[in-house]
Amino acid sequence: MPNALTEAFRQPRPPVIADPTKASGEYKKKKRAKNMSGTLVRIWKYLARRKLKLGLVLFMVLISSILSLLGPYMIGVAVDDYLGGDGTFWGLGWGLFLVVLGAVYLLSPLTMFLQSIWMIEIAQETVYRMRVDLFSHLHKLPIPFFGKRQQGELMSRVTNDMENVSGTLNSSAIQIFSSILILFGTLGVMLALSPLLTLLTFIVVPLMAIGMRWITRRTGPLFKERQSNLGDLNGYIEETLSGQRIIKAFSQEDRVKREFAQRNERIRLSGFWAQTISGMIPKLMNSLNNLSFALVAGIGGILAINGQVTIGVIIVFVEYARQFTRPLNDLANQWNTLLSAIAGAERVFEIMDEEVENKDEGQASKLDKIEGAVKFEDVSFGYDEGQTTLSDISFEAKPGETIALVGPTGAGKTTLIQLLSRFYDASGGRITIDGREIGSIQRENLRSHMAFVLQDTFLFEGTIRENIRYGRLDATDEEIEEAAKLANAHSFIVRLQDGYDKILNNGGGGISQGQKQLLAIARAMLADPAILVLDEATSSIDTVTEIKIQQGLQRLMKGRTSFVIAHRLNTIRQADQILVLKDGGLLEHGSHDELLALGGFYSGLYNGQGMQEEAGD
Amino acid sequence: MSLVFAFLKKYRAASLLALLMMVIELAVELAQPYLISKIIDDGIANSDLGVVWMWGGILIVGAVFAFAAGIASSFFASFASQGFASDLRETLYDKVQSFSYSVFSRFATSSLITRMTGDVTQLQDTIFMSLRFMTRVPLVVVGSVVMAMVVNFKLGLLLALTVPLLLVFVLWIMRRAGSMFKNVQKRLDKVNGVIQENLTGIRLIRVFVRMKHENGRFAASSGKLMKNTVSALRLTETTMPFIMLVMNAAIVAVLWFGRADIAAGGATVGEVVAVANYALRTIGALSAFSWIAVTFSRAGASAQRVKEVLDTQNGEFEQNRAYGQENGASAAAFAASRAERSHRAAGGTGNAVVEGAVEFRSVAFKYPTSDIKVLEDISFRIGAGKRVAIMGATGSGKSSLVQLIPHLYDRDKGEIRIDGRSIDEWDTNLLRRSIGYVPQEVLLFTGSIRENIAWGREEASFEEIEEAAKIAQIHETVEKLPNGYETLLGQRGVNLSGGQKQRLSIARALVRRPAILILDDSTSALDLATESRLLEALEDISCTTFLITQKISSTRAADLILLLDEGRLIAGGTHDELMRTSELYRHIHESQYEQGEALHA
Repeated sequence: MPNALTEAFRQPRPPVIADPTKASGEYKKKKRAKNMSGTLVRIWKYLARRKLKLGLVLFMVLISSILSLLGPYMIGVAVDDYLGGDGTFWGLGWGLFLVVLGAVYLLSPLTMFLQSIWMIEIAQETVYRMRVDLFSHLHKLPIPFFGKRQQGELMSRVTNDMENVSGTLNSSAIQIFSSILILFGTLGVMLALSPLLTLLTFIVVPLMAIGMRWITRRTGPLFKERQSNLGDLNGYIEETLSGQRIIKAFSQEDRVKREFAQRNERIRLSGFWAQTISGMIPKLMNSLNNLSFALVAGIGGILAINGQVTIGVIIVFVEYARQFTRPLNDLANQWNTLLSAIAGAERVFEIMDEEVENKDEGQASKLDKIEGAVKFEDVSFGYDEGQTTLSDISFEAKPGETIALVGPTGAGKTTLIQLLSRFYDASGGRITIDGREIGSIQRENLRSHMAFVLQDTFLFEGTIRENIRYGRLDATDEEIEEAAKLANAHSFIVRLQDGYDKILNNGGGGISQGQKQLLAIARAMLADPAILVLDEATSSIDTVTEIKIQQGLQRLMKGRTSFVIAHRLNTIRQADQILVLKDGGLLEHGSHDELLALGGFYSGLYNGQGMQEEAGD
Repeated sequence: MSLVFAFLKKYRAASLLALLMMVIELAVELAQPYLISKIIDDGIANSDLGVVWMWGGILIVGAVFAFAAGIASSFFASFASQGFASDLRETLYDKVQSFSYSVFSRFATSSLITRMTGDVTQLQDTIFMSLRFMTRVPLVVVGSVVMAMVVNFKLGLLLALTVPLLLVFVLWIMRRAGSMFKNVQKRLDKVNGVIQENLTGIRLIRVFVRMKHENGRFAASSGKLMKNTVSALRLTETTMPFIMLVMNAAIVAVLWFGRADIAAGGATVGEVVAVANYALRTIGALSAFSWIAVTFSRAGASAQRVKEVLDTQNGEFEQNRAYGQENGASAAAFAASRAERSHRAAGGTGNAVVEGAVEFRSVAFKYPTSDIKVLEDISFRIGAGKRVAIMGATGSGKSSLVQLIPHLYDRDKGEIRIDGRSIDEWDTNLLRRSIGYVPQEVLLFTGSIRENIAWGREEASFEEIEEAAKIAQIHETVEKLPNGYETLLGQRGVNLSGGQKQRLSIARALVRRPAILILDDSTSALDLATESRLLEALEDISCTTFLITQKISSTRAADLILLLDEGRLIAGGTHDELMRTSELYRHIHESQYEQGEALHA
């Protein structure tokens, strides 16, 4: 029997946001039919880690099922032998009989209690393991995976789907087992007592099956439609609320209201039919229960008058009929929940099955220390097959040199860095660090020698101190402040209300874009890497602030191989080498002066500034 | 609750019908044990076949009747609850859209989303369940006890004593469980928070090789979630067995006293059976009781959250705006004359009624949620069609300043005048329609590139979209994409580079043919060549442009340069003027140009 209270406290299942990119029927079919058993097996593997406890639970389910059969039977006996007649039950006196009945009635709830609390422990542990596995798997997936997916949809899998599994495992698993046991147990006892009445009770079963099929055949597509409408609506709400500033500034409130109303109406319609028809299930069950009750009482009465059954048997049947349809009822109720939980688990496993970032090759090694000599030899790369983002890039950076990457937007600067840090693997050519091919160095180890300040700053929810410490987890508070001072973040931090302990909420709200960058720079300072990558690091820092941190950056870059991507050419003039990229190719290569003397693309770019200066005068 | 009833009013008929159907269904069920006692006592005991036939027939007719009523109740309840949810959602959404931006930002976006989705669904489900099922539970409990007492007062009294006791127990458990589950929810939020953060910051985590750290953090919070969940569930799982235990004891007592009464002639077998049957029915209902109470309290919380949004008053300036609309006659007349003039002046540049002259007089501003003065004593004046460049260090108030122009926030002191008229007197919609705003953080919507640009003005023709894209220097890039303007952008436009997204959002602003264009550092991710082409192209369209920038190259052509520092205007003028008067400006200039070049210039 489902525990209504537990059920009540379970968080309402948030609507699963349908993935609109996967709306093709082909995909759905594959998802439905193919993996059901596979998913169950995988869930079982998680559960099976607690075999002993699981066995105990099953034993308890068995006992409680037997007891719940015995209870009504004894009531029937009581009516026939002790209340209506003068018989005895196994020769027991009335008092003793009640003691036995009391024992049955005591043990029945007890076994139920034990089975459910043990199962909860198993279920929650399973969910915990799945969560942790899923999470750590996410961190093994290649970066492009995250670009391809909507974040909301991923989020929904990791949270909603997981919750779905959690709730279902708690109760449904044992419930289904006990339902089946009780079903067969009841059937057996009923047959033994009166085959005729059993048959009567069973008249409702085909009716039930027909009714259920009629309903589920209709609800399936309706729910699917409602779900996709709901996903659409929720997505719309999320997007328009996140973009509220734009909507306001563009005065588009009426338009979004209109579009919202359309979506809202769609969901009202599909929701209405889905709910109406699915709402018939319990009503149908209830009515068939009533019907079988009437049949047993009426026909049983007639049989009793004819002396074919006793009153006690009628009473046992009335109760059994209820007990008999209840497991069916439960099964029916649980069925959709179960299906949706399995589908949820499947979606979770789907992510776990995503191919991980190429594993480090077997012989990949760890380097304790690197000098920072970087060499690209004829490196080519394309994100998709047949498309080249970079072609034939060759250059060599000595340890401690500063390499500036210059070129128009989309020329492949960021891609080059991503190859170096092995977010992607080059499709042609060789990249070496200290003479070793980077493919032979463990990814994590490679990256641990690098520090990045990325174009999109990301800050975690937590204090400023914690955010900086992210660069090196064992850093002391003094070291953190030191790094912040170097990055010129210290002065603005101490001016904040809570200073270093100011809590940045999601995404670093509360401080400006430029301040976020300063924190990111401080974080990189703290990491103390051999190779430093500044990817547009200063693009949103104002020039005044940049002048101030330039000194710190220079100090940081000293002795490290640094790759700098920047649009402001003046910031990279001192670079040892400037790589000018255009359309994925290395167009020009040399120092600032060399490139100016060359009079090519770079000098054009650089003089563009000068020209504008003249035009401005 | 009043909120629920207010929205349910429209569906009063359907709700009442649903309830009525439910009561009919219930009445049939409650009669069953009574009828069976009749069959036993009057039929079987007297060997009267006719009586058995009659009651049996009534039972069957009742079952059919109950079925019809059940189906009907499902239909009516669904109609009422879906209609309710739909109306509520729409009212909520419209309300939120009517918020001024400063009121809007008082709520966390995520919490608004939850209120509109989760909370509304919660209320809808509660209504649906109430109409069909929940209201029935207390009726079952009370009805069973009453019926049991009708059948046999003395035996029924046993139930009447036990049931309140159990109710108290259930309520006690509920209260405890309530706080425990609140804890669970907090833990769950925490777990989800970690996931969200990790998904957003995945690149950073990779490059800093913090996967182990994050895994550890996640395992810790998941572990806590598991522990709390287990202990909360453990508590609630005691409820049902306990109720069964007590009710079972009651049944044993009924049998015990029943036998004595039968022997004494005070009761019949049928009566004892009926009372036991009523007791069994109460077990199920009692456990559902707790569930209902929890659902209701949860729905109450949802209703509270929804109500909070609906009750939120708009800020002062939005009220002014409403006031302005009420006094609409003069405003409309003003707008009309303005429109006319504008058409004459600009030779029909779209439907803009704003010409674009902007004046700030001693404007001061702080965000509603904080005490920090963001802007103080800002005064400047710029004619229509001119370009203003705003420079200043991080956090100096540049973005805040430009956000005041489309009236996203309201100033605290001073006056802002557009075309010589106070911003309060402008209809905000009218004003915003004439402003093209490109915020610092790019926000694109799901849909194609064309849709995203046209988002600025729905009725824009494809030519106009292309033209805007050309000016924004994104046309060529778009053309090169496999699907051109029909290329779909993911959530927030994930498949474009930062610079491309910036240019798209500039095109979106341009397609509005704004009288005032605000570029809030919107060219930061562009390379110099693209940026200068963009700024040149902007020269050709006549609109007042506010350009927040860090680059001297972009400020040179400006008619007015505002130099901000910590919320104060420290210098204002043309490039040449500032070169003469402002040391900071000279300093910035030097940092961006070699001294020699600058001097040469």
